Amino acid sequence: MLIFVADADVSWEFSDLIEAIYSAPTYHLVFEGCLILFIVGLLFQHSFLPSKRRGGSGDRLSKAEEDQLIAEWQPEPLVSGDPADEALLASYQRCATSQVGRSVTYSDGRTLVNFATGNFLDFIGEARIRDRALASLRHYGVGSCGPRGFYGTMDVHLHLEEQLAKFYGCEEAVLYSYGFSTIASAIPSYAKRHDIIFADERCCFAIQQGLEASRSKIIRFRHNDTAHLEELLQRQAEHDRRNPKKARVTRKFIVVEGLYVNCGDICPLGELVKLKYKYKVRLFVEESASLGTLGATGRGICEEAGVSVQDVDLIAAGIENALATQGGFVVGTKYVVDHQRLSGLGYCFSASLPPMLAAAASEALTMVDEMRGERTARLKSVSDRLHQRLLAELDNLWSVEGAPMSPIKHLRLHRCTGENSLPALEAACAAAADAGLLLTVARYVAQDLGQPAQPSIRLSVNCNHSDSEIGSLLDFLKSYATGLAKK
Amino acid sequence: QSKQAMQVGTAHSDPNPNHIYFNSRGIWMTYIIFILIAHFIILSIPFISVGLAWTLTCQVHNFITYLWLHWEKGAPFEPLDQGESRTLTHWEQLDDGVQFTANKKFLLVVPTVVFLLATFYSRYDQIHFIANALSLVVLSIAPKLPMFYRVRLFGINKW
Repeated sequence: MLIFVADADVSWEFSDLIEAIYSAPTYHLVFEGCLILFIVGLLFQHSFLPSKRRGGSGDRLSKAEEDQLIAEWQPEPLVSGDPADEALLASYQRCATSQVGRSVTYSDGRTLVNFATGNFLDFIGEARIRDRALASLRHYGVGSCGPRGFYGTMDVHLHLEEQLAKFYGCEEAVLYSYGFSTIASAIPSYAKRHDIIFADERCCFAIQQGLEASRSKIIRFRHNDTAHLEELLQRQAEHDRRNPKKARVTRKFIVVEGLYVNCGDICPLGELVKLKYKYKVRLFVEESASLGTLGATGRGICEEAGVSVQDVDLIAAGIENALATQGGFVVGTKYVVDHQRLSGLGYCFSASLPPMLAAAASEALTMVDEMRGERTARLKSVSDRLHQRLLAELDNLWSVEGAPMSPIKHLRLHRCTGENSLPALEAACAAAADAGLLLTVARYVAQDLGQPAQPSIRLSVNCNHSDSEIGSLLDFLKSYATGLAKK
Repeated sequence: QSKQAMQVGTAHSDPNPNHIYFNSRGIWMTYIIFILIAHFIILSIPFISVGLAWTLTCQVHNFITYLWLHWEKGAPFEPLDQGESRTLTHWEQLDDGVQFTANKKFLLVVPTVVFLLATFYSRYDQIHFIANALSLVVLSIAPKLPMFYRVRLFGINKW
């Protein structure tokens, strides 16, 4: 029965083999018969895509439901006709005829002091940067006409990346051509499905787009509340203890901003680094507003908080604020940052930064380095003075949100002056333009989850704002609010 | 020096080459040739019988294809699908999860043919039959059925 060893005594004539079929046990033939029928039956099945009931979303609609939805559909008007949009549309009619620097001239002849744009270090109009950009324009032309991997890399890009890495004291930098897409590309190149990201609830829209693109599980913690973050991390650690196999393949990240554009607050980086090491989470910091504005020499939140740059896994920033050009970058260790050269989608699949702008950014960065924090300190003192005067003189008229030394502040009408609504603030900005000041209401996309409950006027302070300009701003705010309160 | 994950080309629209490489020209023949080579190697072992050689071929084939198609998850390179295939076995990734494609029917038929040949050459011996039938049903047929698509029994191999 058992044929395991060499079978010299068994015949291998074909007729004998066929006879063996007839003498096979019945159960065997039955099994084989059923198997053949089963397989042949499966071969006649049509191919189909299984519904994603398990492990995914996407319920399919029945034909009747589809038809009903199509019949019920009413097209929305292209233009909403919402009166709140009138002020926004009117602002697009405004046309600047000068550079949008510390002051702006408009086509109607008015010159306004600019408290609206993020020109923190007053580099707009700086002759040195302009000359370097023009020289670069004559040498390279305007656009780079290609992504970094396809003839779009020029020596200015490599030079700027080296310079950025050296400025921060990191190993490597990656240059992007648009500040918004920097963090929106960086996050999904590391965080994938089944990963977990702890994000501050007031993060900017660019970070939110990155979080959404990553397809990870997003856990939002209360703004700047490290106790809440620790509670959430603790809860996650308990989940991990119960399912260690899953935990071993789950990557966890914390995403914060150095200086929050939506609030004007500074993140508690020291405590975040402690949490990072305690719970083994990666820390990503977005520094668009804190580059050049925080730290003794303008090196951002790490310098400000006294944290070593090696403790932060990734620093991403747009250079569209303090450095007054276009683009963005990511710095960190070579191991972390080099990954984006192939999987940072905004890096691989967008044209590279125009060499003219890369040269201008390089010059601006050199200036920041040479100044050794002089303008940064001046910016902090101007912001602080403005903050103290706002608190002292306008406390019962306007409420101010933001750290004292932050160049971004959010103003809201106090309850006693009237309703803090979007039209009211727009009217205030229009009145400010009549008084020679350029103010703006902070605007958000409808899906922006980081927007505040109450609208606000976002002030952006320039390091070279004079005392008289600050004074005129405060005078306007006081007189306007008092006028409102009287009504 | 850390190992970097290999990035795959982006010249086509499919984010994961694991979906489509089994449609390449000649790959069915390659698979059959691999089985034949393995069978000849096993046949060359001098002291075992023909029936045992066939049974060994059947077992080894089922075991290796189980590991290849139904155990290892994800991809050996870094696909562009934002981590979707990290928890999927190769069978679930083939043809983008569509059931009963030509490739999948082929991969169902081959172990069955190997089993039929193995039972024929082992002259319907009972022990060989039990071994081959068990490995065929448990390792080769069952995991390929649509009812087991994305199913992980008892949480085994889930993460």
